[in-house]
Amino acid sequence: MSKIHFTLNGKEMEVDVHPSKRLLDVLRDTLAQTSVKEGCGEGECGACSVLKDGLLVNSCMVPMAAVEGTEITSLEGYRNTDKGKCLIEAFADTGAVQCGFCTPGMVMAAEALLSENPAPDEKEIRRGLSGNLCRCTGYDMIIKGVMLAAERGKGLW
Amino acid sequence: MVNTYYPGNLEEALEIRNQHHPIPLMGGTDLMVKYRSWAGSLPEFPGPVMYINHLKELQGISKNAGSVYIGAGTTLSEIEKSRIVPLLLREAVEEMAAPALRNLGTLAGNIGNASPAGDAVCALVVLDASVKLESIHGGKRVVKVEDFITGPGKTELKNNELITWIIIPQKEVSFVNYRKVGTRKANALSKLSLCSDVKIKNGIIDDIRIAVGAVGPTVVRSRIIEERIIGNRVEELSKKIRAIIEDYSVIIVPIDDQRSTSAYRKQVALNLIQQFLGRIGKEEYID
Amino acid sequence: MTKNISDSVRRVDAVEKAGGYAEYLSDLSFEGLLYGRLVRAEINRGYIKQIHLPDLPPEYFFISKDDIPEGGINSIHMIKMDWPVFVDREILFYGQTIGMVVGPDKAEILDIINGISIEYEETEAAFTIEEGLSLKGGPIHEENNIYADYHLDKGDVDTAFASAERILQDEIETGFQEHIYMEPQGMVGYIENGKPAITASCQCPFYLRKAGAPAINRKPEDIIVRQAITGGAFGGKEHFPDVIAAPLLVALEKIRKPIQIVFDRKEDISFTPKRHPSKVYFKTAIDDNGNILGMDIDAAINAGAFESCSPIVLQRVIFSLNSVYDIPNVRIHGRAVATNTFPSDAFRGFGAPQGIFAGEMHMSHAAMEMGLDEVDLKRKYFIKQWGNTVTNGKIHGTVKLPEMWEKIAEDSEYYRKNANFGRGNLSAVGTAFYLHGGGFTGNGEQAIINAHVKLRKTADNKVEILLSNVEMGQGLQTTFRKIAAQVLDLPYEDVIYDNPDTSKVPDSGPTVASRSIVVVGKLVERAAEKLKKIWNIDGEQEAEVVYKHPEGYAWDQETMQGDAYPSYSWGICAVEVEVDPITYEVETKNIWAIHDIGKAIDETIVQGQVNGGVIQALGYGSLEKLELKNGRFYQNTLADYMIPTTMDFPAMKSDLVENPYEYGPFGAKGLGELVFDGAAAAYADAVEKAIGKQVKKIPVTPEYIMELMRHE
Repeated sequence: MSKIHFTLNGKEMEVDVHPSKRLLDVLRDTLAQTSVKEGCGEGECGACSVLKDGLLVNSCMVPMAAVEGTEITSLEGYRNTDKGKCLIEAFADTGAVQCGFCTPGMVMAAEALLSENPAPDEKEIRRGLSGNLCRCTGYDMIIKGVMLAAERGKGLW
Repeated sequence: MVNTYYPGNLEEALEIRNQHHPIPLMGGTDLMVKYRSWAGSLPEFPGPVMYINHLKELQGISKNAGSVYIGAGTTLSEIEKSRIVPLLLREAVEEMAAPALRNLGTLAGNIGNASPAGDAVCALVVLDASVKLESIHGGKRVVKVEDFITGPGKTELKNNELITWIIIPQKEVSFVNYRKVGTRKANALSKLSLCSDVKIKNGIIDDIRIAVGAVGPTVVRSRIIEERIIGNRVEELSKKIRAIIEDYSVIIVPIDDQRSTSAYRKQVALNLIQQFLGRIGKEEYID
Repeated sequence: MTKNISDSVRRVDAVEKAGGYAEYLSDLSFEGLLYGRLVRAEINRGYIKQIHLPDLPPEYFFISKDDIPEGGINSIHMIKMDWPVFVDREILFYGQTIGMVVGPDKAEILDIINGISIEYEETEAAFTIEEGLSLKGGPIHEENNIYADYHLDKGDVDTAFASAERILQDEIETGFQEHIYMEPQGMVGYIENGKPAITASCQCPFYLRKAGAPAINRKPEDIIVRQAITGGAFGGKEHFPDVIAAPLLVALEKIRKPIQIVFDRKEDISFTPKRHPSKVYFKTAIDDNGNILGMDIDAAINAGAFESCSPIVLQRVIFSLNSVYDIPNVRIHGRAVATNTFPSDAFRGFGAPQGIFAGEMHMSHAAMEMGLDEVDLKRKYFIKQWGNTVTNGKIHGTVKLPEMWEKIAEDSEYYRKNANFGRGNLSAVGTAFYLHGGGFTGNGEQAIINAHVKLRKTADNKVEILLSNVEMGQGLQTTFRKIAAQVLDLPYEDVIYDNPDTSKVPDSGPTVASRSIVVVGKLVERAAEKLKKIWNIDGEQEAEVVYKHPEGYAWDQETMQGDAYPSYSWGICAVEVEVDPITYEVETKNIWAIHDIGKAIDETIVQGQVNGGVIQALGYGSLEKLELKNGRFYQNTLADYMIPTTMDFPAMKSDLVENPYEYGPFGAKGLGELVFDGAAAAYADAVEKAIGKQVKKIPVTPEYIMELMRHE
């Protein structure tokens, strides 16, 4: 495979990269998707979370070979959707953001959760976000942010 | 730079595997981390790599002739959500890592990686599951997971074979018991895990299966001890628990590592087995 | 006043960050960027005999001590100048910087590093406090391995011990803790108008300038430091960025092209400072009537191979050993011990969490030994206004601990739930009481920092805040704006506060020591008042103010006597746990906290600090095991070093009491570290009650609980 084809935030892409390159690096270095952060590079922290065919994945673990023919959504695309705006506003209103380094990944994880379960309870939110580490907030306000988004965004998810 | 292969179908994959012996890469959750390099540069795989996660022939979960078949490319999330996968395996998978990782990771990858701390492998050993291994020209063999994994990172996989399916015989059990003791409450690796089930018939233990993960180089399961338990009347079991625990105490020989201690692993494994045995006769179940 | 400043507003950086617009250090692009990677010592202690370099391709560089320009000094200017920029010959810890490879392609840099071979002469190393004190392998620092040796005396300890009915002995221990700021260490150096400049993820832009200047034989003013949006720090980006900046500046002077250094996570866990491990021995004299007559305490911290800020951390440790208690007769001996571990350094609390943990556990153990409820004993010794501290200073403000405890006792149902106390009935509520002095210890604010803050009114009637403190997640971008806006009666959106640039702002000191609000925030308030007086709708005006130490607070740095801190913030945390007797795992059922921080500048931001600090401290107390194996950190990935996830602890219930402080902005006191200080002790205390055995160390892992439960 010489070139890899996929869609990024709905736009068709063709990139000429090594198939073993990490999706994370291609998103950040080639496609300027700097919302996607590298917190650990080992699938533990969730800062590099994006959606692949609608499912939450750690982009640090995805080789480009596995991206061929898939749909990738990063926060750069998601933030312009109604759902994205709703979540971002809810995070801002509940104090869910401190240093912010984990936040883009948290927003993507929250989207993945809400798309499967539009009205999650606290326990379900905790479980849905359990792969996204945050060292600032202690999580309470992030969980409130997701609850607020679910409440405000009735019908969106 | 190492060679990379991206076969279009299983036949092609087996051809490449036969000729070049590349490392098969499924979801990448183990290998992309194990061989990761500096951010922005390529992973440093020790040899050629073949991506096979996309192969259509390796997808899906089905039931046939008393067994459940799980395609090697099936993700952990798909397994977790499947209604036909045995409960014990679903419970084990549900507690593995976190949602994003379960969307990538596969059962076959877990088996191939042969980590002593692999929770799914522990469940598969208890379930008497097998892997189907395929090679070119219709080469096939089926090997029990328990026999397939021979040590940490070591398997019986030949350099021209691929794991294509996981086969789990269906079995009626009275209740299952899965307990993971992780390094924390979520997104954690196992310090140890206990997978067990039991079948009780007319008040007699008809079958029992007990496996402990992460307490040795491979999953610990003893048919000999299980045979000693089978055939006992449920109400008589309590008298024998002490002897059974002593038997397990001999074969559970864990190590100290960065996640836990040998003493803890052993004690908790024995406590959990004891707790499970204690539940027999007390739990409600279908006799 | 238009409204209550405590009322929450939306953080100014929230949408920028949640939307992924915020650009952190590694998101910034530079034309022709080169990458740097440190070459590190592979032995714990010894000497370099020879370095063999592979042939370097064009555009690649190996930078080492030999590249320090003429007149430059191979030392990083921290508090002392003991830490070399590059290893000269002697290696004192595993991972010490030997050199740096710089070039355009990362894979090539890795190849070069793999091709470097270094011949060492390895000698015996000391890793623990005991090994350091016994001079294992020979002295590391001076002749005795002691960076600091302090003695405090209050009352008459010898007489108290002479009249004691019983002497209790206790030994309390704490381990390493890693910061795990989500954004690893990183900075970029570049040349601007012929002079070196650095953009860094950091807490203290002026420190970086000062740290690197001697190595390149320049004045600090000749170096520009700009703070990048910083993804968490917790003390980990206080001094340690100096250790990256100095070699980076040496490389920059030689190569004169932009160079980026960003650590990978494993590199960050393996090769950055940790919280100081501590060991505290108590001897406590008691009588038969439930009285504590005196305490004789010996405390030591593992400071590692260079001094860094260890003496000041040690001061916080020993000043915190009695924390909220006024014990009549106390003697404290404290030592910061040199070992061959990675130098320990600042971490949220700066020694106070270690001192408070030891003190709280010991008070609980003493109560257990005396057959008393621990809270009854502790309350009896609560320090009061004008009470004596261990440095023979006074508590100037009102102490609201009794009413704070009433609230916690009621919310947690402490007395009802602990009715089975001491029986090891596997569930219990534990508590901890704590205080934190705001700002630098002793005379640091006036003698060392002497902070300046400037406010500028622009022609379009906006106000710009000029100072050197940074937003690192704690909300300063919002709270400083609110303070200025409130005084000037402006919408806070009309206040500008950019990330500091040392060429544009005065030095208001580092972003450390819970000083940002209570000290610098007060300066913002004063500058705003000054600006208000000269406010003219036309044109630009400026107002600058300088730190003034509050009157009536005396301190003698030589003898360490007097008021160590002008203001104290106070807290109580309670934790309810249930211990599983099969796996020895702990389920945290509830968390309560109450704090007196004077006045909240923004309630949501304050709650965010409380939640985050308490959970981080619970991680410290329960999960965050970090061991040394042959001098190297054993749990060096995020798969093995366990910080709390969403599932580890339940939602917290948290309250505030108002208790305004005259010299803080709108009455506010310090907050950021206070909220870390007590939760580990509360957790350990809860486990201790639940299992009926004394807990002597953290983290309280299931392995340790098993040991306690199974052995008498």
